[in-house]
Amino acid sequence: MISAGNDIVALKAVDQQRTQSHAFYSKFITPAEFGLHNLDEITLVNFVWLLWSAKESAYKYLKRNNPDLIFAPAKLTVQKLSILNTSKKGENAHHLYKGEIGEGDMVLPFLSTINDDFIATVIDQGDVQWAVKQIDNSDHKSQSKAVRSFLLDGLKISDVLIEKHPAGYPILIKDGRELDIAVSFAHHDSYISYCYQIPK
Amino acid sequence: MDRKEILIELKKVLTPYTENKEMLDGINEQTDLIKDLKINSANLVDIIIDAEAQYNIEIDFDAAEKMYNVGNCIDVISEKINKPA
Repeated sequence: MISAGNDIVALKAVDQQRTQSHAFYSKFITPAEFGLHNLDEITLVNFVWLLWSAKESAYKYLKRNNPDLIFAPAKLTVQKLSILNTSKKGENAHHLYKGEIGEGDMVLPFLSTINDDFIATVIDQGDVQWAVKQIDNSDHKSQSKAVRSFLLDGLKISDVLIEKHPAGYPILIKDGRELDIAVSFAHHDSYISYCYQIPK
Repeated sequence: MDRKEILIELKKVLTPYTENKEMLDGINEQTDLIKDLKINSANLVDIIIDAEAQYNIEIDFDAAEKMYNVGNCIDVISEKINKPA
């Protein structure tokens, strides 16, 4: 069974000071994970939220196959993290990271992109399509509506309905039947993101 | 502090992270923080830190991951408050 998992963190919406306190990040980052932090490459704030977004993404990915799964961020640990490249878009530098996250023998690869505004992460398993967009309104209803509309524009399949599985993840319905496409949504403040995977 | 009193204080902790404040009036032990209160998951750690300050307790790794609904939050807080020093 295919799956999908992504997350986004709007960096201007988080408490930067609190993020840097040990009391905060030690709730979900283990000492072994903290050993992956290279201050020359990534600030503490970005490191903390990158790991959070990787854990959220992995949780969403795994929940599709295990609906009873509870989010336990300290148990899903990032095991590898390295920077792939840095590019400039205007004044804003975009850093692309790759890593591995897992629990026990199960390991998932992930990609994270970071700029001044957001950290977006996706589980990079299979043929995944992934996109991020800024929206005008940051209330929950607007985020939810915008991310669904954003996905439908990206999917280019007509007459698709987006519904919610009882376990909480989104499913796509066409002509009364669930499509074999795994979808994941994320939103935070004025940023939205989707990813999906279509089996080959 | 009984469960009812913890719930009253817990509402104060959840208020800054809940978009629809009216929903807080009707919360019960089954209320899910993310699904029902629409709290962004990025704020879950904030809630744990604020609860620690509100009740003068320390919530560790294992306890923190149980706090996905109001009843579980009350369980964890109640256990920590009543833990002998």
